[in-house]
Amino acid sequence: MLHAKIIDISKEKIEIDKAKKFIASSKFGASIYFVGTVRDQNDNKKVTGITYDSHDALVVKSFEEIYKEAETKFKFENIAVFIEHIKGYASLGDTSIIIAVACKHRAQAYEFSRYIIEEIKKRTPIWKKEHYENNESEWLKGNSIQTR
Amino acid sequence: MKIKLELYGASREFSKKDYLEFILKEKSSINDLRNEILSFIDKNFKGNNNFKRLVETSKFCSEENNIVSDSYKITRDQKIGIIPPIGGG
Repeated sequence: MLHAKIIDISKEKIEIDKAKKFIASSKFGASIYFVGTVRDQNDNKKVTGITYDSHDALVVKSFEEIYKEAETKFKFENIAVFIEHIKGYASLGDTSIIIAVACKHRAQAYEFSRYIIEEIKKRTPIWKKEHYENNESEWLKGNSIQTR
Repeated sequence: MKIKLELYGASREFSKKDYLEFILKEKSSINDLRNEILSFIDKNFKGNNNFKRLVETSKFCSEENNIVSDSYKITRDQKIGIIPPIGGG
């Protein structure tokens, strides 16, 4: 069971409560929440915020593909996964991504959650423009998208 | 053929709009489109090497939301997305 969405933060909030509601079930004995936030430093530069850009349709497609691959790879029964990523401007400490995974056992939840975030980093078309203290900004170089 | 190139990430610096338009010959490939974009950079940004490197390292996405290879033939007017190196999450 998967929920996958891009959140345009000029219109909507990214909220962990939505993730909690989605994965809540007495079938599951373990839940993991991964929350990515905007930090204040990168490459020795003081960061004041990040603008996230996204190819929305490809992002959701990649979330779905990653989820299906993880299902095939791990073969865990009864799993719920919630993935939301923002687009738009985020200040320091703001949430950029939530991945919530619920399944029977803790080892499965850790494995599944880790797989999803690592694959998102390689394959999901999201870009970051960092903003700095001196009012400068820069698109991060990133890595060429990997396809399967 | 008229191609609307949708800009993402660092390629948004290529225009104040969120797209560029190119006219390509029939049965042009993604590689031909890439060369057109490089010519655009030469003309409009004095061959800015960072921009050219960005184009060279980018992938492209079809209107059906598939990442397509350089040999992919564009057979009609359509939107193509340029997918620069990624770094989200």
